[in-house]
Amino acid sequence: MEFNNNIPIYLQVIEKIKQDIVTGRLKSGDKMLSSREYSTMLGINFNTVARVYKEMEMEEILFTKRGLGTFITESPERIKSLRYEMAKKQIDDFVRGMEQIGFTREDMIKFIAENK
Amino acid sequence: MFKLLKYEFIRKYKLITMTLISALVLNLYLLTRGIAGSSSFLLLFPLVLAVLYVSDVIRTYSDDLNKKSGYMLFMTPNSGYKIIMSKLAAAVIEGIGMLFIYFLFILINGAFIIYQTRSYVDINEVMNDINTLLSGNIGINLGHVFVFLFAVLVFAIGFIVTVYTAMTIRKSIFSEIKFGGFLSFIIFLGLNWALTYASGEFYSIVSPQYGSFVNVTTVSASELLVIMFPVIAVSIIQSIILTFCSGYLLEKKINL
Amino acid sequence: MNENEILRIENLTKKYFNKTALEDVNMSVEKGKIYGLLGPNGSGKTTLMKVIAQLHKQSSGHVFINGNPLSYESKASISYMPTENFLYDSFKVKHAVKFYADMYKDFREDYAMNILEEIKVDPEFRIAKLSSGLNGKLKVALALSRNADLYMLDEPLNGVDVLSRDTIMELISKSYDETKTFIISTHLVSEIEKILDSVIFLKDGRVELFGDAEELRLSKGTSVEGLYKEVYKNV
Repeated sequence: MEFNNNIPIYLQVIEKIKQDIVTGRLKSGDKMLSSREYSTMLGINFNTVARVYKEMEMEEILFTKRGLGTFITESPERIKSLRYEMAKKQIDDFVRGMEQIGFTREDMIKFIAENK
Repeated sequence: MFKLLKYEFIRKYKLITMTLISALVLNLYLLTRGIAGSSSFLLLFPLVLAVLYVSDVIRTYSDDLNKKSGYMLFMTPNSGYKIIMSKLAAAVIEGIGMLFIYFLFILINGAFIIYQTRSYVDINEVMNDINTLLSGNIGINLGHVFVFLFAVLVFAIGFIVTVYTAMTIRKSIFSEIKFGGFLSFIIFLGLNWALTYASGEFYSIVSPQYGSFVNVTTVSASELLVIMFPVIAVSIIQSIILTFCSGYLLEKKINL
Repeated sequence: MNENEILRIENLTKKYFNKTALEDVNMSVEKGKIYGLLGPNGSGKTTLMKVIAQLHKQSSGHVFINGNPLSYESKASISYMPTENFLYDSFKVKHAVKFYADMYKDFREDYAMNILEEIKVDPEFRIAKLSSGLNGKLKVALALSRNADLYMLDEPLNGVDVLSRDTIMELISKSYDETKTFIISTHLVSEIEKILDSVIFLKDGRVELFGDAEELRLSKGTSVEGLYKEVYKNV
């Protein structure tokens, strides 16, 4: 995985894991690598990965079974809502960008329909 | 302490072995030149050995203080006092070893010379010679030799400690100054002057008690020891003080 | 005192006969983190490490390891790797391993031999004949094979080829655990910044900036390297 050092690395790792979950590369109930293994694999700091897991647990995307490790949520609703959150964010970014170059919402819809 | 000593010798065993082998080869070669060759070796060898010894002892400590490889030693969790004492102990052991080796060469060459002059070795005569030496009939006996060697050892240690202290002072108080080697030498001269001055003062207080020996022509070994006692004692005290100073500087002030 | 604190430096100053190398340095280093000690040559990185390792003695100020003032005994809990080629030239690699095993109670000989095999350093090699890449890897391997509280690696990537750099970074990552603390000095910031928790910028012997790497990226919107270039642009 390539990182952009200008952005906090933990945010990039969170993004990557979320993408892997919504695209199905990581499955509901899968066990994550330990922080140690994952950090060595990515060549990043251990505490960064620990932080990623902690933040994603708070978002209820990951959960920890004591003594067994960290797992991906087993709730299909959560994965669905995650997918929705991510789509929403993409749309927001897109709309903001388009508004900056003078498109109205109607223009955007029309534009998308015409540029398939 | 034992481990520090062990590595002192691991680091110099090659040099020592090489010196011994070349000495042996040289001796064998000179033996082919007969008695003259053998005795010239006995005369020359201690001089060369002494120079090699002193330069080796100085060089090893100088390397530890001035070369990056010295970090190997000074990174280890040993106090400065322990390090300087192990250095001195190594120097003393090396010195005693050198003396021992010289005695071996004396024995070899002595046997050779006797063999050359007589073509045979008379055990009785040898025993007789030893008896003469032991009983002191020729003015000195083994006791004298031991007192003499002991004094030499003490003075040699005194000298080495002074050199070590000079180098330690230069690497602590005067670190990061150019011409380090020269500076060490100047400090050494200064130290020596101070020590001579201090011991001179000491003798002028003590010496009246020793006046009675001045006119004695033959002295026994124990008398010799008594006569030399102040000098030896002063040298030992100096060595202890300087070792402590070096240890303190290594512990508190060093900049490697 | 913070119980997570492994190293504390208070008003540390190091003056030599004719120059000042460190001036009024203060910092608190926490257990379980990797610190990058950054700055160009001559900024005081090496001197700071040498003072903590006690190869140089401070002129004034205090340094505490695990709450205790520095003494020769603290060398037992600090694994320091000088940037220079300090291993005895006349030794073979295996002798250097033996030396460490003899001198440091926390040295793991098996661990060291495994690393050496992994990084392809033959124990029979003579140290004088090692390439700078192999020598660099050997030095790191020896330092990491100790089971110390604090590791100080001075320029571990210096004079080492790109592939060896990757190996060294991997070795550091692998030997990390939450009880250990690393201080790694370097001027090759971009290569190392991903494994850092915190950064310490030294400039002319003073601490110019001390902070969490991720917080800095977040608040300044730039990489540690970008920040580095900004801080030292006039140096």
